[in-house]
Amino acid sequence: MNTSYPILNDLFVFLNSTITDISIVYSRIPGSGILLKYIKNSHQNDPFRTFLEALLVLFAIIYLLTKRYRTDNNLIELTPSEIEELVEEWQPESLVPTITESQRIELDKTPILNGPQGPRIKLEKAIQILRKYGVGSCGPPGFYGTIDVHTEFERTVSEFLGTDDTILYSQAFSTIGSAIPSFCKRGDIIVADQGCNFAIQKGIQISRSVIKWYKHNDMQDLENILLKIKNEDIESGRRLTRRFIVTEGIFENSGDIAQLPKLKKFKYRLILDESLSIGTLGKRGAGLTDYYNINPKEIDMIVGSMCTALCSSGGFCSGSFEITDHQRISGPAYCYSAALPAMLSACATESIKNLDRNPHLVAKVLSNTSTFKSNMANVKYVTVDGFADSPVFHLRLIKDIKANSIEEKEKLLQEIVDDAMNNGVILTRAKYVFAQEMFGIEPSIRICISASFSKKEIEKAAAITKSAITKVLKNKVR
Amino acid sequence: MGRRRSRSFIIAEKPSSYVESLDQYALPNLNSNWVYYKGAWFIHIILILCVKILSSIIPCVSPETSWTFTNLSYMLGSFVMFHWVKGVPFDFNSGAYDGMTLWEQIDNGAQFTPAKKYLTAVPIGLFLLSTHYTHYDAFTFLVNFTFLLVVLIAKLPQLHKVRIFGINRWEDE
Repeated sequence: MNTSYPILNDLFVFLNSTITDISIVYSRIPGSGILLKYIKNSHQNDPFRTFLEALLVLFAIIYLLTKRYRTDNNLIELTPSEIEELVEEWQPESLVPTITESQRIELDKTPILNGPQGPRIKLEKAIQILRKYGVGSCGPPGFYGTIDVHTEFERTVSEFLGTDDTILYSQAFSTIGSAIPSFCKRGDIIVADQGCNFAIQKGIQISRSVIKWYKHNDMQDLENILLKIKNEDIESGRRLTRRFIVTEGIFENSGDIAQLPKLKKFKYRLILDESLSIGTLGKRGAGLTDYYNINPKEIDMIVGSMCTALCSSGGFCSGSFEITDHQRISGPAYCYSAALPAMLSACATESIKNLDRNPHLVAKVLSNTSTFKSNMANVKYVTVDGFADSPVFHLRLIKDIKANSIEEKEKLLQEIVDDAMNNGVILTRAKYVFAQEMFGIEPSIRICISASFSKKEIEKAAAITKSAITKVLKNKVR
Repeated sequence: MGRRRSRSFIIAEKPSSYVESLDQYALPNLNSNWVYYKGAWFIHIILILCVKILSSIIPCVSPETSWTFTNLSYMLGSFVMFHWVKGVPFDFNSGAYDGMTLWEQIDNGAQFTPAKKYLTAVPIGLFLLSTHYTHYDAFTFLVNFTFLLVVLIAKLPQLHKVRIFGINRWEDE
């Protein structure tokens, strides 16, 4: 090709020679002829299809040659120099931290209790068991840790409550936090009371189920929420998963009593945390089922604790045989933590037998509670939260008191506690982890009435508490 | 909470929350790790050969039809297995993978990993083979190509955790 422009001429010559060179080199590669023949053969006078296939091969080559990358970049990647910097900067904390002034005052005022208040029978039994079994247990309950005193306790509790079987946990706080996740998994629905205590909240959180909260002890709200769930089911065509209602017998944070007759009418499985109500409510002291005269076999799971009325340590979960047996494998706090020491388990058994032998104790608790509450009836400045029959109740500041933040309220309550202590009555503030509670909690003084006081002592305690409250709070009203 | 009506028909699911990714990394995902086991890659070739042999044994089926049938059944089967079924068949991580198909679970969502490259190359190779052996007939080509397109688009990294027309959405409250 000769054109009138010499530059273009050179360009064409260059291109021609390059293409000839490439084709010579290409034909030297073994097998290249086959590829060329195949492509020529497959063309079949259909340029569109050949074009598509060429695109496809190009896509495949690009895909095969791309480097891999991650799609989730949640994890922070630090360069080695940044890691070195962070390691250099770190200073270990001292083993004994410095305490603030307020913490020092609290520590000074910690009272020390001398001697057991219960009957001597329990003390002698405890010493006997201690000499027989020693102090600790060998290991987890599923692995050489279960002793005959454990099974004896489980049987005693089942007979006492009227359920089929019981499983014993070594720590009361983690009992409900382990019982709930062993049955509720992701995708299940839990409807829980807003006033539930911290342990239940953590247990529900771990279970990763869908949680719906209903207003505290409000059965109408609960019904509305259950109806809403049913409508959502129909709308979204969601398949049926397990459904639970979680509530407490006596609410730890408010002293209210759950309305069991209405609760058990719903079709959901009921998990009842009776940590505070077993040993205190009912004719025999068997908790909410005794109080309302309901068959305990109708409740799916009753969770109780031995560190409240039974004066020992640990917790238990009671229900049908399937419920308890399932937790022996899938209850995290049962499988992965040490068994309860023998002495504590035997003491708990003895406490239940004590309750059986002396049924008047429960009536005494009830009468002491009503004496205390009637003496506190006209107290100004604080509200007495809790149902009439509940031996656990809270004293909370009324809204008119001049205290805006939680720290100020706690300080006022601590002054009341200190004043009562100076006059011979030990009270204590209820401790909350305010930062982690799901719903707002007001600071309070929690009072639990015991059966071991006489009527005169209760009246005196009520009078001292009332005067302490009046003394501290009378100038703090807005 | 009422039902959210989404405006577009292509919905990108939100990335895993911190809690979910903790659950995902807690244990190895046995449901998706098998693509790296010995023989997991070779079994695809063997399965394709088996289906081809079985379909050509039937007397009144021509070789072209049997190739097309092999191609379609492999594409359909791999689509249902990798891109339709969600979650894991047994519970070992409390539902952290419930909304993800097997393709999204492989390698915890990393893209262009060796397994994914191989599993993309196999349908392409099978398609090219089947067009060659059906003598480039236009109709079978179109059918094969449509199936290939569906399978390939589902494997694109842009479609990671994307749901079209609300199919296979994971309803999370």
